[in-house]
Amino acid sequence: MLRKVVIRNYRLFRDFTLEFTPGMNILVGDNDTGKSTVIEAVNLVLTGRVQNRLLAQDLSPYLFNLDITHEYIQTLRDGQGPEPPDMIVDLYLEQSAATAHLKGRNNSTDEDTHGLRFRAAYNPDFALEYAAFIAEPDNIRVIPAEYYRCEWLGFDGNAVTARSVPVTASVIDAAAIRLQSGADYYLQGIIGNNLTPAERVELTRTYRSLREEFAGNPSITEINNKLKATPGDVSERELSLGIDISQRASWESSLVPHLDDLPFTFVGKGEQSSLKILLALNRRVDDAHVILVEEPENHLSFTRMNVLIAKILKKCENRQVLVTTHSSYVLNKLGLKQLVLLTETGGLRLSGLTPGTQDYFRKLAGYDTLRLILAQRAILVEGPSDELIVQRAYRDVHGVLPIHDGVDVISVGLSFRRFLELAVPLRRRTAVVTDNDGDDPADVAAGYADFTAHDFISVHVGAAGGGNTLEPQLLAANSRQALNEIFGTSYATDEDLVKYMTNNKTTCALAIFESETTITMPGYIRDAIA
Amino acid sequence: MPSPRQLAVIAAAGSRKTEFIITEALAHPYKRVLLTTYTLNNLACIRERIYRKARHIPAHITITSWYSFLSRHWCRPYQRTVLGTPGVLRGIDFQSDLPRFIPESDARRYFCNRAGDLYKDRVADFAVKADAAAGGAAVRRLEELYDEVYIDEVQDLAYYDLDVLDSLLHSGIHVVVVGDPRQHTYATNQNSRNRQYRGARIVGWLGQRTDVCTIEHRTVSYRCNQAICDFADALYPDLPTTTSANLEIVEPTGILRLSRADLQAHVVAFGPAVLRHNARTDTLGLPAINFGASKGSTFEHVVIFPTTPIRTYLRTRDPSGLAAEARSKLYVAVTRARHSAAFVI
Repeated sequence: MLRKVVIRNYRLFRDFTLEFTPGMNILVGDNDTGKSTVIEAVNLVLTGRVQNRLLAQDLSPYLFNLDITHEYIQTLRDGQGPEPPDMIVDLYLEQSAATAHLKGRNNSTDEDTHGLRFRAAYNPDFALEYAAFIAEPDNIRVIPAEYYRCEWLGFDGNAVTARSVPVTASVIDAAAIRLQSGADYYLQGIIGNNLTPAERVELTRTYRSLREEFAGNPSITEINNKLKATPGDVSERELSLGIDISQRASWESSLVPHLDDLPFTFVGKGEQSSLKILLALNRRVDDAHVILVEEPENHLSFTRMNVLIAKILKKCENRQVLVTTHSSYVLNKLGLKQLVLLTETGGLRLSGLTPGTQDYFRKLAGYDTLRLILAQRAILVEGPSDELIVQRAYRDVHGVLPIHDGVDVISVGLSFRRFLELAVPLRRRTAVVTDNDGDDPADVAAGYADFTAHDFISVHVGAAGGGNTLEPQLLAANSRQALNEIFGTSYATDEDLVKYMTNNKTTCALAIFESETTITMPGYIRDAIA
Repeated sequence: MPSPRQLAVIAAAGSRKTEFIITEALAHPYKRVLLTTYTLNNLACIRERIYRKARHIPAHITITSWYSFLSRHWCRPYQRTVLGTPGVLRGIDFQSDLPRFIPESDARRYFCNRAGDLYKDRVADFAVKADAAAGGAAVRRLEELYDEVYIDEVQDLAYYDLDVLDSLLHSGIHVVVVGDPRQHTYATNQNSRNRQYRGARIVGWLGQRTDVCTIEHRTVSYRCNQAICDFADALYPDLPTTTSANLEIVEPTGILRLSRADLQAHVVAFGPAVLRHNARTDTLGLPAINFGASKGSTFEHVVIFPTTPIRTYLRTRDPSGLAAEARSKLYVAVTRARHSAAFVI
């Protein structure tokens, strides 16, 4: 099982540490926060491969972190001699009999523990070439990866091979289905991994004898005899036909999985990706096997995704899974508690969510929790009319709609507390805009005291004199005449106007949102958007 | 008092000591076993004998040379305690001379060459230092990896190797060492540490550790006949004498002298293995094996081209006239034979 990954100078990550929990780990983040990079890095250190190619043979300078690349080049141009930067992925593993040989202190934290390290570092054998390379710093654009060598070691400092790595990983990236001859690379891997060693030996043996039988088949023998009798035009040696039984031609390259008698590659992409996920999940539980799933929502219809998520949940009880997702649905279903919000240097977890809140989001699986998680700042309101008014208020003050500034206005009904519970561990700047509903605003605010103790959370309640809800509050802040103008109405009393507004909440809010007239916003809304 | 956990078998040539550890290792399939020895010749010999007995090398057995054992399990895992940085060490440098004028405080250059290969003569030194600096972590790591460690030809270990052996003997791993102090033909390195214990003195070194290690003497040779045993025993009058269990009589038998004139006929008639001191020895054109390299082998008959000290010994029969190494090599050479050892005079 994986305990922790430390990534240095790889892609987006300059110095990144992420601890894993047993079971499900759901990686969430905006585009370009490195969700896929984490999966890629874990897979790299377990297989030596990136996108199915051995990195040691294919090290690209573009895999190096951009900041470190710029810094390195700048230092060179400043006339100094910086050490060419290393790229490191350290994967810390749980102690077990299978990982015992990987124990040592060759890791970034100097812990005496079990793990694997992939490192690309400058190779001093290229000293002459490198000297020529740095002689003209102005022409340098990238890190000279061609003078690097890759090492794949255990924390014991000894080289490892794909065979000696005790943890296997299935990467399931439904979006990228690559095909080789026969079964595709990781489908092969998944099938191979599903079999016990004894079954694998049996499969290999049967396949081998099948090929050998081919040569013994009477009709083939006859053909071969005929060929032997043919006088050699090119060579004096005997010519005969047989099947390649070299290592290259093992069962993996010839056997193709079939779904309902249809070769796997002819099955729809959605089916392929769910099958791959399920094959990976079906592995034996006792194995040190990690499943890396990239965006399971890809290629899947909503119903099929629902089925798949239910299966993932059921099958993953005793194993470690890393999932990246863009989908609030997937996130809510799999459980917010397992969420890891990626940052530049690590991950943020929603530890300490109450079971009630977890359950709430799981039931409201369609709810857009990711909006709160990914926003830089959130304003929580009760309903769509409040949302429109707040948007307008924000634009009046800041000149742009809130979403421009990464501020998300989210209507959450009466579930403010559920969302605030999410906001606390995220330390997300959050404002609540709420009615006083006839209560003393101070009392209403006091109800959120446990949240407002955090300086990043504020609660804004309609003032006492301004009415119970948004509509009278708006009227209190503006004249009846002004509002009548905006709505195209002509109510003679405040009472009638409020009644109209309350019965046509959204229409009125939309009219205000679109109106060219200057509108005075109630004080509590102005505070919230400040 | 509980009996010591560890076992040292001090045995005469042909007493089946390698056979003993192979049998033990194969008998414990539920233990994780490491088999190691100093010379690559002997390592190959062990490997081949396991194949012969078990048809493959079972997964629970790891066979590794002493150098590779040190480098893999002692030096690399805790290299940063000595070198300051991780991931420096690569292989072992068996070629270069030790660098001069580099103080031990410059550990990077004192222990390894530019590429990061450890100098062969400093591997054990490094191993001991890394383990000590890591607070015994290397030994604890090995305890998690192996239940039993078997060391063949223990008399080849010397200097810092003995400190490694000492740590192993005091660890939770069951350690069995076998060896013959009379067959000390190689020293693993050229340091001054533990100099007094090189070669034949390994028995004395083990003798100081009887609290953790039982010493067992095996004095029956299944290979050499009694005449050969007696000749070999006479070289080491301080050690227990050997009894032969080879009662077969195959002519020629015993210790012989052979004139150069009779050599050709002898070789044609009996097909003996020809043993020599080194490649510079004139063997009259016969293909031959060096004394040192013949260790571990068995032949029906051998022919030995004696060195000057050996010729002197044959005359005087005074072992004190033979230097330690020459005595070992003579012992090894003569005990290769089951039936006869002929000296070319």
